[in-house]
Amino acid sequence: MHKTYAVVGSSPTKIDGIEKVTGSATYGADYNWPGTLYGRIKRSPYAHAQVVSIDTTKALVLDGVNAVLTFKDVPRAKHAGLPAPRAGSLAVDQNVLTDKARFVGDGIAAVAAVSEEIAEVALDLIEIEYELLPLVLDITEATKPGAPHIHGTEKNEVMPPVVVERGDVAAEFAKADHIVEGTYTTGRPIHCYMEPNVCVCKFDQNGKLTIWSSTQTPFSVRQSISEVLSIPLHKIQVIVEHMGGGFGAKQDLYQHEYVCVLLARKTGRPVKMEYSRKETFLATRTRHPVTVRLKHGLKKDGTLTAREGTYISDSGGYGSHGPGVTAVGTINLTSLYQCSENWKLEGRSVYTNAPVAGAYRGFGAVQGFFALDVQMDEMAEVVGMDPVAFRLKNAVGEGDPSPSGHPLHGYSLAKCLQRGAEEMNWAAKWQQPEVKSGFVRTGLGVGTEMHSSGAYPDIKEISGAILKMNEDGSVNLLTGVADLGTGALTAMAQIAAEELGIYFEDIIVIAGDTDVAPYDIGAYASRTTHIGGKAVQKAATKLKQKLLTLAAERLETPISDLDIHNGKIIEQGKPALSVQDLVKGDGGTPASAIISEVTHESKVAYSFAAHFAEVEVDTETGQIEVKQVVAVHEVGKIINQKGVEGQIEGGIQQGLGHSITEDLILDPETGQPLNPSFVDYKMPLSMDMPSIKTIILEEEPDPGGPFGAKGVGEDPIIAIGPAIANAVSNAIGVRIRDLPITPERVLEAMEEKRLADL
Amino acid sequence: MKRLVTFTVNGEMQKVTVEPYRSLLDVLRNEVGLTGTKKGCDVGDCSACTVILNGQPVNSCLVLGVEADGMVIETIEGLAQKMEDGYALHPLQKNFLKYGAAQCGFCTPGMIMAAKALLDGNPHPTEAEVRFAIAGNICRCTGFAKIVEAILRTNVDG
Amino acid sequence: MMRFEYFEPDTLDEAVTLLGQYAGKASLMAGGTDLLVEIKEHLHRPDYVINIKKICDLDALTYNNTDGLTIGSLTTVRAVETSPVVLEKYAGLAQAARHLGSIQVRNRATVAGNICRASPSADTLPPLIADEATLKLYGPGGERVLPMEVFFTGPRQTQITKDEILTEIVIPPPPPHTGKAYIKHGRRKAMELATVGVGVSLTLDGDFCREVRIVLGAVAPTPIRAWEAEATLRGTVIDEALIEAAAVKAMEVSRPISDVRSSAVHRRKMVHVQTRRVIALALSRARSDS
Repeated sequence: MHKTYAVVGSSPTKIDGIEKVTGSATYGADYNWPGTLYGRIKRSPYAHAQVVSIDTTKALVLDGVNAVLTFKDVPRAKHAGLPAPRAGSLAVDQNVLTDKARFVGDGIAAVAAVSEEIAEVALDLIEIEYELLPLVLDITEATKPGAPHIHGTEKNEVMPPVVVERGDVAAEFAKADHIVEGTYTTGRPIHCYMEPNVCVCKFDQNGKLTIWSSTQTPFSVRQSISEVLSIPLHKIQVIVEHMGGGFGAKQDLYQHEYVCVLLARKTGRPVKMEYSRKETFLATRTRHPVTVRLKHGLKKDGTLTAREGTYISDSGGYGSHGPGVTAVGTINLTSLYQCSENWKLEGRSVYTNAPVAGAYRGFGAVQGFFALDVQMDEMAEVVGMDPVAFRLKNAVGEGDPSPSGHPLHGYSLAKCLQRGAEEMNWAAKWQQPEVKSGFVRTGLGVGTEMHSSGAYPDIKEISGAILKMNEDGSVNLLTGVADLGTGALTAMAQIAAEELGIYFEDIIVIAGDTDVAPYDIGAYASRTTHIGGKAVQKAATKLKQKLLTLAAERLETPISDLDIHNGKIIEQGKPALSVQDLVKGDGGTPASAIISEVTHESKVAYSFAAHFAEVEVDTETGQIEVKQVVAVHEVGKIINQKGVEGQIEGGIQQGLGHSITEDLILDPETGQPLNPSFVDYKMPLSMDMPSIKTIILEEEPDPGGPFGAKGVGEDPIIAIGPAIANAVSNAIGVRIRDLPITPERVLEAMEEKRLADL
Repeated sequence: MKRLVTFTVNGEMQKVTVEPYRSLLDVLRNEVGLTGTKKGCDVGDCSACTVILNGQPVNSCLVLGVEADGMVIETIEGLAQKMEDGYALHPLQKNFLKYGAAQCGFCTPGMIMAAKALLDGNPHPTEAEVRFAIAGNICRCTGFAKIVEAILRTNVDG
Repeated sequence: MMRFEYFEPDTLDEAVTLLGQYAGKASLMAGGTDLLVEIKEHLHRPDYVINIKKICDLDALTYNNTDGLTIGSLTTVRAVETSPVVLEKYAGLAQAARHLGSIQVRNRATVAGNICRASPSADTLPPLIADEATLKLYGPGGERVLPMEVFFTGPRQTQITKDEILTEIVIPPPPPHTGKAYIKHGRRKAMELATVGVGVSLTLDGDFCREVRIVLGAVAPTPIRAWEAEATLRGTVIDEALIEAAAVKAMEVSRPISDVRSSAVHRRKMVHVQTRRVIALALSRARSDS
């Protein structure tokens, strides 16, 4: 069915675009209330240490210091960094301020002072005596008997293992024509959003607390602050006007948010706490480094018959999203490529004294699908098939189980693969790995993925929307959706305008204020368009119905003859009355309140992607250059074209970095991060990016999404990793199974092969 | 000891009294009240704080406020032309909007100022020259693709 | 940033007097792109900062065929990077300047600052030493001149005394048939600190290599001359085999550390690869130079 859309599918100017390009957008650090104090946290320089004594006297008497807090002055009960309903995904093991440091950077105390300089001096004046505890940085060592206890759980495990089993893997392995197995590891990348974490807290005369925080989950901030600090929920308002990126790290609360509230309460003044860039490296979240052991049984013809694997994640000093990431990463391995419904998978998460790992775009799928997609190439090689053909043979499609257990619809993965292979001229350019000449070798690789649009069934997926008609025919859209830069709010406005039949410019979006917006669980899991947008669409449908009912009365026509288009009521195809005239009320009398509200609960939908990467490897230096990426994504329906492209291009920058140059490196003796800065933590910059061609397919619209739209935010960061690894393997003739693919690893791999070939 | 510093920001004279150890970035954001220029790292590694100082793009986090005495500073707030009713956006700003070059927007002010400095001296750069000009500006959202496109398509002449 | 007192002397003598007065507690500031970072990161806490940018006549960038190139101590890296004469006659230095930090940093950073900070991986050092630069220092006793090659005594350590200021860098004019090149080895294309840096100046006499200087950066406590590598090439008709032999000698003289940027083993391998490449580059430039 060919439908022409008025505004959905195009790229109207973002609703917050002008603020951003003129510098008038307000981010957390831009708030300057009179009397604001500056808060800083005193952090442990040790990865595992018990505080023996702490003396704040000198800090307290320093001129300009208004308050000092230590772990003794704050609530001691452990919390999850997110409120209770999310606890299924998290560990409840964090402290507002701690007396036992479990990673370098763990917060012990805090100060509030009249300037940042004085706050820094005050931190130095807090005297802390530590007893150093033995530390552990390796997940295997951490689970051995006698390993240092980080939280007192058995074997330092964050939660009981996740186990999924179906069919009879052992029997299938016994009769398989081929068995392929391997171990795959991923590194420790970190988000590096441009806006460092920041929080401003202010109590008013009524004891009402307003928190301006750079957060993806304002309602979670409100609830967690209420729970942990025992402040009534209705006394807390969280406002996010603009935020400078999050990518999952700003889904959690950190010590500074709780501490900021406590300092504001104690001093009676507004308090601002801004992370330094170094603190964002030490004391926020990283991605979980994961070791995946994977084994497949397959037939001569390439059909996969069984899959067995373990997925073990390094959680760092606290659990955060370890349970969720591990569960998602493990359970994802039941899908993407069919394995005749025989699988046995186990996932574990282990505490170490590394920086805390948490939610990061791709949430466990990055690591698991990396292993699967690389092993797909290995298996293709074993049976002598082209990697794309091998994938097409086993790709999940209609009726196959998805990770949530629901059957999939359509053949999106196959279509992405076919379209990309065509665009890349794969058949002509790809060869079986063979020795190439010259010191620069080119290689081609493919990586694929699937991702849910929402976190169902792990989390009850819920979003609300309220549409409020104004007398001039414009509409206020109140949405709980958070926009971390993705353009989500613009998409919401497009959806409302499209469904209602009024102009995009006449939708006024109100968001980012927990006092006003309807409840929403937050911006993560690629859910904002699919779920937040569906709530908006439903609310718009309701509102449209109210308008048409009114119009039918006014025009004395059956509703079935009416529609709305471009802000006009259309009667039997002809404009009859403007919406404004319909709602404005009669000369001075106020218009009736025309409001619709909806709470939308969701099931799950899946987007798919196939990335094709072309790389050049300098075999003398081991350096890799990604020359070209063809990224094919199936998203159901594009709401904002440039928005979708932007997610893909940005996701590729991050995934490319994670594959080649990004890794937070720890000193093996002390656990201290050795590169907590932009100069030594190497993200791809403008000159390092390949040319990217995005192809967006709308093959499988999902009825659960607005106009069929599914998510896209996380898909690109997942598919690019295996695409690059497989391309490098193709270039140098050696299998790459570990990220990041550093030059040292490339040279080592080539040297091993050279020795093996002798 | 505080010093009186006088400089021009976006065509307007500013007089502020600041400690010598305050960065120009902090002075612009606090004393002058222009918060459009952002602090991404404070140590010259990300260029989010780029302003144009006497015609050259610099990291304002690595310039002392007192050093700017007598200088001419352009920040993001000065790009749009004030008209009788509203503002006329600079061609770069228009194209950043048109091509979707701003996602979270935090790197955007610094990025636009770096791009403006490029186009001020080289109105028709190649793609390689654009990427070189913004090589020090970190963006974590866009992958740079639409930023480069927006700059390339900006014709400052018309 | 931590507090300090601040001076802006108008003359060199004033600056030198201040340095003497606050010996050990004062830092000079030119571009500030290293000093301010160190202060912010608490690596350095001077009580006094002496900004020399108000001193006149320190920002020269001039060339003549007798004296060569003169770079004043306030001349920015960006000025050097974009100077047509530097690009033409001192291509290695131009290349090094072009890859130092970002444009925003280069608009403030000075070549003199890069030299005085003496980080083992500093980009301008290998090409300047390969080009036989000399340094003019001004102190209470007046002016003295030092060859840059002997200036560095250790990581972040130089022969400059606590009350001296570097005022000028002078690089002799290149003889005809000279090719210069610098390769910075790093993991990405910009915003890098060299894990290995190799600077070469090579002069031909017909087909023979009359003179060659190879300087390695980031692989020892200071930049070092690869003497034996040079000896392999000097006086020969350079071919691929000789370049390879020279590159091996350069690798052998390197004594890099392992740090978060690279392991020692990998750095040595890269010295081998990049020395080979930079010699080839300088050679081709020498051949096309008249």
